[in-house]
Amino acid sequence: MSAITGVGAYAPRFRISSEAFEEAWGQFHAAGITQKAVPSADEDALTMGYEAATRALEAAETDPTEIDWLGFASSRPPEAEEDPTARLGAMLALSESATRQVFTGSTRAGTRALWAGLDALEAELTTALVVAADAPKGDPDDGIDHAAGAGSAAFVVERDGPAEITDRAEYSAPYPGTRFRNTGEDETRGLGVTQYDRQAFSETIGGAVSGLEVEPNPEAAAIQAPDGKLPYRAAGAAGVDSDDIQAAAMVHDLGDLGAASVSVSLASALADGYESILAVSHGSGAGADALVVEADSEVPAETALEGDETLSYAEYLRQRGIVTTGPPSGGGAYVSVPSWKRSLPQRYRLEAGRCSECGALSFPSEGACGDCGSLVEYEPAALSGEGTVEAVTTISQGGAPPEFADQQARSGDYAAAIVALESARGDDAVSIAAIGTDVAPEEFAVGDRVETTIRRIYTQEGVTRYGFKIRPR
Amino acid sequence: MSDAYLIGAGQSSYGAFPSESYRSLFRTAFEVAVESVPNGIDADEIDEAVIGNLGVGGRQLGLSGPAVTEHVGLDGVPTTRVENACAASGFAVRQAVQAVKSGMADVVLAGGFEIMSDMSSDATKYWLGVSGETEWERLSGTTFSGVYAQMASVHMERYGTTREQLSRVAVKNHANGAKNPHAQLGFECSLEDAQSAPVVADPLNLYHCCPTSDGAACALIVSEDVVDDYTDDPIRVAGVGAGSDNVGLFQRDTYTGVPASQRAAESAYEMADVSPNDLDFAEVHDCFAIAELLAYEDLGFCEKGEAGQLIESGATELDGDLPVNTSGGLKSKGHPIGATGAGQVVEAYKQLTGNAGERQVENPARGLTHNVGGSGGASVIHVFEKESEVNA
Repeated sequence: MSAITGVGAYAPRFRISSEAFEEAWGQFHAAGITQKAVPSADEDALTMGYEAATRALEAAETDPTEIDWLGFASSRPPEAEEDPTARLGAMLALSESATRQVFTGSTRAGTRALWAGLDALEAELTTALVVAADAPKGDPDDGIDHAAGAGSAAFVVERDGPAEITDRAEYSAPYPGTRFRNTGEDETRGLGVTQYDRQAFSETIGGAVSGLEVEPNPEAAAIQAPDGKLPYRAAGAAGVDSDDIQAAAMVHDLGDLGAASVSVSLASALADGYESILAVSHGSGAGADALVVEADSEVPAETALEGDETLSYAEYLRQRGIVTTGPPSGGGAYVSVPSWKRSLPQRYRLEAGRCSECGALSFPSEGACGDCGSLVEYEPAALSGEGTVEAVTTISQGGAPPEFADQQARSGDYAAAIVALESARGDDAVSIAAIGTDVAPEEFAVGDRVETTIRRIYTQEGVTRYGFKIRPR
Repeated sequence: MSDAYLIGAGQSSYGAFPSESYRSLFRTAFEVAVESVPNGIDADEIDEAVIGNLGVGGRQLGLSGPAVTEHVGLDGVPTTRVENACAASGFAVRQAVQAVKSGMADVVLAGGFEIMSDMSSDATKYWLGVSGETEWERLSGTTFSGVYAQMASVHMERYGTTREQLSRVAVKNHANGAKNPHAQLGFECSLEDAQSAPVVADPLNLYHCCPTSDGAACALIVSEDVVDDYTDDPIRVAGVGAGSDNVGLFQRDTYTGVPASQRAAESAYEMADVSPNDLDFAEVHDCFAIAELLAYEDLGFCEKGEAGQLIESGATELDGDLPVNTSGGLKSKGHPIGATGAGQVVEAYKQLTGNAGERQVENPARGLTHNVGGSGGASVIHVFEKESEVNA
């Protein structure tokens, strides 16, 4: 039997209310959603996945190198073609030889990843990290976009632990057209054949639950939630009542979390201490997975699902890049992708060095030692990811380099700081330039304590560069 | 070793000139410089040329030196282009002095040029800040306004420097620039204007930032052997100092000073055997208002941390004890990157020859020029002395 040993969950800080949509459109097409989470311009499924995964690893107190299986699920990975798990694994400092798998193409991908992780543990592997992150997107006047939220969850799964997955079953039946995105398209859509859509939803969910060996009697039910009404319509099919669904529902405050919908609900239910949980996903196509989770003791969990920065509808369109024109064209200073790749150990994992001559900390550690001037090799040294702001400015319109023009158009002014990042051993620090994120730029002042996280830095030549940014500690 | 002398200098107007090319602007500067030589000079007496240029816009990145010297009929003369960001032509002047002092040349043309106004705003964005540390500093979302704003944030935090003091730099330099017919922004501004402008990178607003400019400037440096052929009232290059440092601010030991400028000042003062008290005026690199305040401290015009009080005291105004940026500085006169250092020497030449018009300092004997590359990756300082005044 396999068990969840650590839980992480994350939602971006921005919220938009159903009223803001009503004001803009005269109506709101996503029933049962009062507000939803909106990803910042520097976030995507990969960075949200990183946020949840670091929390899960921390909660489980698992050393990243112990992970031998990584699954990443999203209906909206940053690239339609290119494996994001290589980057995610590098950001999390997993072993290069850990098995990596990507799950996409459906909102069911999150439970598919969990399913595959369980299979891997039943084979010869020992420690799986299952990550689901999503931010659906539809046409602005469509219900899919009105419902679209953002969030992520991650689970460390091992052979034994506090929350055992005691049973699982799946079901599939062809129902084309309920929710799809053709190759080359950016917006997800559906034909909107109401009864047909509901039938696809209920039949697959009911089918998966019926396949379970034991009839579940959960305290909480984490059911796929494309909007705030549909999961309740499937209560009968899933054999649960509305209160069970309500107990784990995140859709009302976070919106449709796509492939992360069931994962975030499951994470939240475990964090809330529910001991018996039924998790049932649904993905268009259509299919469903049902999993029974029984916790016999508290599951270590670290969640960051709160958010209180409210957006207007216009700000929502800006943050999501719907009304901005993209990065400017031009020339000038340029960091090639191979150069960027060489700096990934620094940008993802803060790998610093120590001068073998004088012991001074150096970051990035290359060239002559900044302290003693010796042209030496560096001993590897780790940074803690925490530090202090030494100098800071708020970059306003016109003050941003072109690489950042699109992001500034989307999310407004940002903080640019020099920060002294502390060594892991804690007795010294090294200075580096970094962008502020997660709070308004004026929240950063000289002397403030900060921590690093990973975000989108900029996109050039179609390639998004990820690296660390700072936020208040 | 020969002494080096400044026998002529000239510049084009600074500004945005859609009908001019980099070559036509350079030609203007060259012709004005040649005409400014008291006893006249023939172009064929020039032994060598050193030209500063960053290459904004990329139009002639390679061989941009010969591209302008051939245009003014100096084809055949050994020509080198110097690139040291905004200090390019300050270093060109230094190389001219070195050529003369080494004995390899008697007459050297040191100049610089830049065109910055003929691009789309997108393209301009790509070029501004190319001299910042690219991989980390630029990619933390900063161009130079951001980096200098970071310096300002620490100076304000540590020494209590105020936004109003930053704005006073703009007010002073605009007051001087309004008296300079070559200035790009040759108008006066009130303290209120300079405090209420749109923010570019907090605490720096638009009035705390120099403009982007087109322009060219030239200076003629000659040896002791030939100086008497060109002038009866020689101006000696009494001191030269230069320094370099980490390109990125975050790599440096201090954010509240420019160590390269401190080193350059120390060498220049020592070579000239003078102290800041011996100066009658100074042209300092005020790309941003905080940069002028840092220069006051780095060049020893005041103690560390006291630059805010110095600007407030009025001591650096045109009628103060040490007028700074009588030309209007980069702020008002303009900042065509490759031309700026040589353009500062043009102002020094005008002041020392009594040709500075309405902004003339009374009988100056000695002046300093200070030219910084980037946020302090390179810095070069010259001290010029009018021998007749110094010996008087």
